[in-house]
Amino acid sequence: MNLEIDEVKQDGNATRLKLDGVVNIQTAVALRQRIKPLLNETCREVHIDLIGVRFIDSAGLATLVEGLQWSRAGEGRRFVLSGLSENVRDIFELAKLDTIFDIEDGKPA
Amino acid sequence: MGSSENQISCTLNSSCDCVDVLCSMVEVMGQRASLSDKQTNRMVLAVDELFANIAQHGYHGLEGQVDMRAACENDILSFELRDYAKPIADASALCTSNPCLNSELSPGGLGLQLICAVMDKIEHEPLPDGNRWHLIKYLNEGEDDES
Repeated sequence: MNLEIDEVKQDGNATRLKLDGVVNIQTAVALRQRIKPLLNETCREVHIDLIGVRFIDSAGLATLVEGLQWSRAGEGRRFVLSGLSENVRDIFELAKLDTIFDIEDGKPA
Repeated sequence: MGSSENQISCTLNSSCDCVDVLCSMVEVMGQRASLSDKQTNRMVLAVDELFANIAQHGYHGLEGQVDMRAACENDILSFELRDYAKPIADASALCTSNPCLNSELSPGGLGLQLICAVMDKIEHEPLPDGNRWHLIKYLNEGEDDES
């Protein structure tokens, strides 16, 4: 199981990470290594596009929670998720995280 | 790997590159039990989390043997994971019929929270040379798993 991560710098101080694969204990470390540098003082928005993610477990969720904590630590910061499949959204709901994250519905641009 | 109509068994290494094999086995059992895609995904999640716990907390990230057996009999879907790590003397807090109904969600306990949300019963048996874990899902119980 692999996870591919594409990074796209967007207008202003925003970055989009597009994920493709599985986010689990095996791949969450790589995801954390890509997210962590983005969570700094100058970045205002980090967008995680999960359209290609087939499965996520607690290790993946915990990695995303770090981004959520960053967004809450500074005014004007956004940590946005999008592209959740039905099964991935179900796991967010089981973890009771679906109402905590900023989740955009619909297909990402 | 062994397989018959109602059960599959195999021996895995707790190193993480075995997770995909484990998940494939669970998916096969989910299909044999006629589970929906969502229900099967939940079973994969529960077994993935238990396997990860054994790898992290039982074997502390080192390589270790995990025997896995999945069975679907008499409307019961069960997954047995047997490790050879240090036996846990008392895992009773994890293994009641509804172990997590009153627990608070905490980051460290998220994996267990997910297992509890998905399975009907978790059993643990300490052995002289390891632990045996059972994840049990009652099929056709009338509960709405799609909610």
